[in-house]
Amino acid sequence: MVELLQNLIDGLGRGSIYALLALGVAVVFGVMHLLNFAHGEMITVSGYVAFWALEAGWSWFLTVPLIILAAVLTSLVIERVAFSRVRGADEFTLLLTSFGVHFVVFAIFLLYVSASVKTFRRPGWVTDTYAVGPLRIEVFDTVVIAVTVLTLIGTTIFLQRTTFGLSLRAAAADFDAARLMGIRSDSVIRGAFALSGLLAGIASVFWLMRAGSTVPSAGINPMLKGVLAALIGGLGSLRGAVLGGFALGMAEVLLRSRLPDSVASLTEGVVFLLIALLFIFRPQGLVSVDHAERV
Amino acid sequence: MFPDLRRDVFIPVTAGLVLFGLFVGAGLIYQGAFGGQERLVTFALIDAVLVLGLQIYVGNTGILSFGHIGFGAVAGYAFALMTISPAEKAKRVADAPFGLADVHLGPWAGLAVAVLVVLVVGVVVGIGLARSGAESGAVSATVITLALLFVTHEVARNWPDLTGGDRAGLSFRIGGALDSRLPLYLALLGAILIALLYARSRGGRMAIAAREDDLAARAMGVNPLVQQMVALLISVSVVAIGAGLRVYEKGSILPRDFFFNLTLVTLVMLIVGGRRSVTGALLGVAVITAGRELARRMGQDGFELFGLGLDDAPLDWIFRENLKTVFLGVAMLGFMIWRPRGLLDDWELDRWFHARLQRWRGRGATVPEVPDALSPDDVPTDMAAPDEDVLLVDGITVTFGGFRALDGAGLEVGRHEVLGVIGPNGAGKTTLLNVVTGLVGADSGRVALSGADLSGAPSHRVARSGLVRTFQNLRLFGSLTVRENVEVSALVASTSRRHRPPPDVDGLLVAAGLWDVRHRRARELDYGTSRRLELARAAAMSPSFLLLDEPTSGMSDTESEAMVAQVRRMAGLVGAGVVVIDHDLNFITGICDRVTCLDAGQVIATGTPDEVRAHPAVRAAYLGVSASD
Amino acid sequence: MLEVSGLTTAYGEISALRDANLRVGSGEVVGLIGPNGAGKTTLLNTVAGLLAPRAGSVSLDGEDVTGWDPEALVRAGLALVPEHRRIFTDLTVEENLKVGGITLPAADRTALLEEMADLFPVLRAKWATAAGYLSGGEAQQLAIGRALMARPRLLMMDEPSLGLAPILVDVVFELVETLQAQGRTLLVVEQNATRMLEVADRAYVLRSGEVVAEGPGAELRADERLFDLFVGN
Repeated sequence: MVELLQNLIDGLGRGSIYALLALGVAVVFGVMHLLNFAHGEMITVSGYVAFWALEAGWSWFLTVPLIILAAVLTSLVIERVAFSRVRGADEFTLLLTSFGVHFVVFAIFLLYVSASVKTFRRPGWVTDTYAVGPLRIEVFDTVVIAVTVLTLIGTTIFLQRTTFGLSLRAAAADFDAARLMGIRSDSVIRGAFALSGLLAGIASVFWLMRAGSTVPSAGINPMLKGVLAALIGGLGSLRGAVLGGFALGMAEVLLRSRLPDSVASLTEGVVFLLIALLFIFRPQGLVSVDHAERV
Repeated sequence: MFPDLRRDVFIPVTAGLVLFGLFVGAGLIYQGAFGGQERLVTFALIDAVLVLGLQIYVGNTGILSFGHIGFGAVAGYAFALMTISPAEKAKRVADAPFGLADVHLGPWAGLAVAVLVVLVVGVVVGIGLARSGAESGAVSATVITLALLFVTHEVARNWPDLTGGDRAGLSFRIGGALDSRLPLYLALLGAILIALLYARSRGGRMAIAAREDDLAARAMGVNPLVQQMVALLISVSVVAIGAGLRVYEKGSILPRDFFFNLTLVTLVMLIVGGRRSVTGALLGVAVITAGRELARRMGQDGFELFGLGLDDAPLDWIFRENLKTVFLGVAMLGFMIWRPRGLLDDWELDRWFHARLQRWRGRGATVPEVPDALSPDDVPTDMAAPDEDVLLVDGITVTFGGFRALDGAGLEVGRHEVLGVIGPNGAGKTTLLNVVTGLVGADSGRVALSGADLSGAPSHRVARSGLVRTFQNLRLFGSLTVRENVEVSALVASTSRRHRPPPDVDGLLVAAGLWDVRHRRARELDYGTSRRLELARAAAMSPSFLLLDEPTSGMSDTESEAMVAQVRRMAGLVGAGVVVIDHDLNFITGICDRVTCLDAGQVIATGTPDEVRAHPAVRAAYLGVSASD
Repeated sequence: MLEVSGLTTAYGEISALRDANLRVGSGEVVGLIGPNGAGKTTLLNTVAGLLAPRAGSVSLDGEDVTGWDPEALVRAGLALVPEHRRIFTDLTVEENLKVGGITLPAADRTALLEEMADLFPVLRAKWATAAGYLSGGEAQQLAIGRALMARPRLLMMDEPSLGLAPILVDVVFELVETLQAQGRTLLVVEQNATRMLEVADRAYVLRSGEVVAEGPGAELRADERLFDLFVGN
């Protein structure tokens, strides 16, 4: 029981980051039908920005906004340079374009920075833990969960209450109808990328705090988590993406602690297998986007 | 298996030999004249086999697979475990399960086992893909194949008893690299021929038809899921051979050998060359291999770009390896933005040969004679459909959400009869046709053809039973030629409609006035011609009934008049009854024996065209009722 | 107000609309009737900027707006209630209406929301319901209300009565009359030709992508050839 509770908390911490990433993937998919395999590049870029800032003696306190800003800018630049040129293309082309973007960003850092790992100091409290009864809780996880919950609430308010949030949701529901209402496709797509970058930036802060290093290929892992979580949740749904993120984090933690030792190292493989099975038996994802109207 | 021996076998084989010669020749020239590395050429040959394997699936089905290198990993390990000597295995994987530690096969037998193992995995994955509703461009299929890549990678890394683990891997040491290139040449030639011949075969054509338009393919009796499975199995077998050779040539296998990097390399090669073309796939391998080599040399010799030099760190092998990846990323992105269909798109050498040959001998070619419309007496008695051939649709009710699209609608039509279905927008005409052809499930009601119950049968089975439809919004196989469009259904008919006279493709083309454009691609046709092609394609199925959805939609009056003759002629040629939906009473009167009028999902009138035209309810349905009525 | 001249639109090789000429004067209700596949929807979608014309021109109050984006046309005062309504099913009724008025300043939007609630009492009752749960008639009213929120000078409607029960068809036509009484300019594509002609000041009959007849609504309605124009003679 205690162990399960411990797993639950660990899973929430891990799932929080995935949820932020998945939400960003889902927001972009909503307006452009692009499954963004370059979603991790925001983390790659902000990782180097963090490295340079910390190297230059900045405190983490100052570096955090810089990381987020870098992620948002990266997202916007990628949209401008690559995705704006393939708008309306088939899914095959969109997907491979994002794949290409990933490798080009990777290339830029490889050529102009270095292929080797750049390490930086992590905030001291990242490894601290505190006890609640029999549970051992990381300060880091607590912060992650709290910030994620706040971010999700903030995003919800933004999407529900602001004019731009409304445009974004309308465009995700029916892009052409939204244009008929006067919503500008350029600005709504750019806005989606900015929001997606912002969410990735917040996730990036945590990802980097925990990793304490970056390499040109640093974006692959978070990208995969984000994309998979969004897929689990059913691509069209923002709520589904968040749920998918938590489900993925939870599944990883549970599998790792529950599988017999001999196969525990296979966790990643098992997660992939489960996702494949999910797609085979429920191709629309966990949360299917159900349009009540059909006339 | 092949519609035309010369076009579909001899010319592709010739083209295959030419491609093989060009590819190998280029490699040998590079190796000889420029002092290029032998290894580079050897691996290009192996990459070509892998890419051709990938092309067979991705090119013909339109489904993007990230998983083929996962199949390669399975084949690679199977091959290694079969062929490494027990003594050698004792050092690394002494505890290999299933008694594998003691197995020792020769390379050819090892390759055969690798193919078998991959086929088994392929069947499982293929069933999963089919279950997920894979079709051209489907994201779910891409995710499943990606999962396969990761699962094989993780298993390979974490099952050291079988694979030697993440770092050590399995190695040969004994034999080392291939003694000669002969096996590579054989494999490459084989892969080229398989890829070319598959695309021209029955199964290949059906898979391509489904790629072009899944719905139309099903309406022509093609089961896309079966054809995708066939394509997958052939494709992974070729990949398995390529993977086995790769392992043999390298003399070792590690989990990372068959992971993201190789997936990226093979995909970029395929996409840059043109994924729908075998020639393109080979061109892609050549271009990318050359580009990567160039990038590697630049990395080796150092370079400067935009004034920015490289890191001070020495240019180690990791860096050179990565510089090639840089090139791949730029190639992928650039092609997706500026030329998403690759250098050659779907240009194919054997097609080109065939077109040349046609033109060369074509000047005096004669237009084949068209038989007169087939009257019932002309059909040999043993082939004739039973006289009571009748389509009976009864009590169909369909609701979408709360909206009742059909409310007990039905129709009955006998052999050689032409029945018109009319009604205003939203009356449920197309929905009725969708129910009959298995595209929409009905809440209740019955569809029967000559007594055989077809209610709820899948579309391809309905089509094979003899109910063949056309679509209101033209659904042609756009990148196939006019003749190939008609051939798809003729192919299906040749097996599933044996009791009917076999369709004469050339005769139908002439009769439909398509003879002169038979080599044009369907998507290049003008509207009227496209409509005629859709009709000819449906007629080539030798249907018992042709179901036409708005064949004159978007046509001018003179065009629709011509369509009357066209429909009569086509139906007569193959001896089919006709059900035609249209809004144009001119057309309907000109062609129909009887007319049924639908409104709000119900039949409101049935009779001769004149009777129905005069029916007050029909008038009201068309023009609407005044508020005062 | 709206001048369409020589408009030709094609999907690939299929020309769905050929050399169409049409005029809507300020304060007029103009009907556009014709059989299935005649090109009515194509005409509206081309005018609204969803499709690019191959030839011809569209001008609004003398300004040439041919080939403008839909988002620019809305700002120029042209709104379309699209075929199949296309309401945002995941958004609430209120949010759908707000999206309709997205080009307006926030204060105007709030005022208009009130106006819509008065105009459509059924919607007021379902203000916070997701639009996907509305019935066909409610959804159609929402679609019209959403387009009105843009405060258009010209409102175009595509088949507003399609798929509705007879009573709801009445509701739609009453609404058209209400809007007419308010002096709004409407261009309505409608399959229910008789009803449309009763309401319309003028109407055009479209067949096979071409305008085959035009005239005052009452005149066309009395024309014996109308049925033949529809279904061919």
